[in-house]
Amino acid sequence: MKVVTVGTGMAAAEFVQRLRLEGFGGEIVMCSDEGFAPYSPCVIPFYLAGEPLKTVYWKGKDFYDRYRVTPYLSDPVVEVDTERRLVRSASGRNVTYDRLFFATGTRSWYPRPEWLETMGVFGFKTLTDMMAIDRYIRERNIKKAVVFGGGFIGVDAALALWHRGLEITLVHRNTRLLSQMTDEDGGQFATRKLAAKTGIDIRLKTTVSEIVSAGGQLTAIEFSNGERMETSLLIVSIGVSPNSEALCGNDKGVASNEQMLADPDIYTAGDVAVTRHAVTGEQGIFATYPNAMQQARIAARHLVHGDGSFGGSVNTNVLKKHIDFPIVSAGSFEGEAITRQQGDIWRRVYMKDGMINGYIIVGDTRISGFIYHLYLSRKRVDKSIGTILSEPRHDSYYRGMLGIADPNRN
Amino acid sequence: MKRIFVDYKKCLACKACETACAVEHHPGHSLLATLCDHKTQVNVRVLGIDHEAFPLSCRHCDPADCLNACPSGAISRDQESGAVLLDASLCKACAMCAMVCPFDAISFKVTHRSQYNRDVAYKCDLCNERIKEGKKPACVEACHSGALVYAEHDSMRGKHAAKSLRTYLLGAEGMPPHIELFRELRRKEFARRRGGE
Repeated sequence: MKVVTVGTGMAAAEFVQRLRLEGFGGEIVMCSDEGFAPYSPCVIPFYLAGEPLKTVYWKGKDFYDRYRVTPYLSDPVVEVDTERRLVRSASGRNVTYDRLFFATGTRSWYPRPEWLETMGVFGFKTLTDMMAIDRYIRERNIKKAVVFGGGFIGVDAALALWHRGLEITLVHRNTRLLSQMTDEDGGQFATRKLAAKTGIDIRLKTTVSEIVSAGGQLTAIEFSNGERMETSLLIVSIGVSPNSEALCGNDKGVASNEQMLADPDIYTAGDVAVTRHAVTGEQGIFATYPNAMQQARIAARHLVHGDGSFGGSVNTNVLKKHIDFPIVSAGSFEGEAITRQQGDIWRRVYMKDGMINGYIIVGDTRISGFIYHLYLSRKRVDKSIGTILSEPRHDSYYRGMLGIADPNRN
Repeated sequence: MKRIFVDYKKCLACKACETACAVEHHPGHSLLATLCDHKTQVNVRVLGIDHEAFPLSCRHCDPADCLNACPSGAISRDQESGAVLLDASLCKACAMCAMVCPFDAISFKVTHRSQYNRDVAYKCDLCNERIKEGKKPACVEACHSGALVYAEHDSMRGKHAAKSLRTYLLGAEGMPPHIELFRELRRKEFARRRGGE
């Protein structure tokens, strides 16, 4: 049997590694539009922050050799012909498959794609992006950057470049950073603290409306309020869209079943896959590493053994990069809000039917694992949740285990 | 596979385990070197909850949520010892592991294993090198009261099950008298404190 993966990202690498660990001896081909061994997108900003390139290859730089893979790199797959069971690449190469693993991830979405033609404007998504930005900063001795977009990737970009020593302006159109990961209050708290801790100039309710260039080189940008700022580096990170065109003809992602099958011969996983939320049952793209990894393992298991099913994705995420100030969240921010704030720590849990419906924890991770498991296990915690959040020594899990109530509990 | 078991009723909160762990994981391997060194790493923490106390650290779960959540390849399992290990040179301190650890067993700071002058995740490594030499983990060796035991997982569980049945049927705790006395005194002390003095 011949297995072909479209993509060499985290899902595809996990899938291939699992296939080999499960004893799959057939031919494996991996196709990518980039020219690298599988790398971790979570790690690549650290390369830009000054850490060595080798750490981005989280399963080893010799991945293709070690797992006996034929890599077809730097040649994007443009079409999947499901009837003839082959994939066609931009260069015209046809690769046939018995089983396909379609894990192409997402790409940056640009409001004005033509901006990228100007020297000094970059996306922030791939290792190719990171290398281009790194070279540009070194060659031009860049001291200052504007990051447009304050979602997870934008904040990651801003912090990586801040860590490298650049002066950063972060432009975001919402009222708070990380608006998908936070609610209004939690997001504003996190935004204020990040600004105070880093000195990054954060401009909310603002966008970059125009760029100014001279001879193809970026010289300045204009904000939506008309103000102009001189800069020769602009990072555009305002959103991503799934790379599902080659299979589905649109960029809405790839629908999958519990075996991670999109079609009888095609598995999918990772940031391109539409899956069911483990708690809410809602269908969507839940683009985090733990989801991608579980999905890829289910697909590999199903391919080799014909069993296993995916229990669903969880939209849990954490941003704690380049600075010791974590922002954790999961679930939906609806229901009765119970909030606790003390110093740099801000915690809120949304309760529904006595269970945790969603949560945001800013400033520390000490109870985040406990809350995560309470959320997933659908335990009724309406009587204890107030204490759990406010326990001054963050030890409510162990108190519960010992059956010792908090004496300060009202 | 062997694991560290905690019999919390025997813990006297002396923190010998913390000290031994700090010394074991310090490049200087001496108590003097660990003192006043902000990079000193202590992978076990004695938690006091009212009159009870016990050392808490990584449980080396299998499957381990932290291992499955780590996007940088820093967390792995030693197939021989079963220990869940964290390679600080690959760790990006992204906190995905801490976000899912139910035991709050992973912390962050700049340690002697940090390679890039920033914080990294750190946790118990089951003294993986020591146990491969046939020694006990440092904390277990340092524990004077028998609260920490390094033993085979399955046989220990069996023993616990038999013991708790005996405790249930005969009402016998089987605790040494001096530890019983210590626990009694500590319970009284906490009751007195709670009384508002």
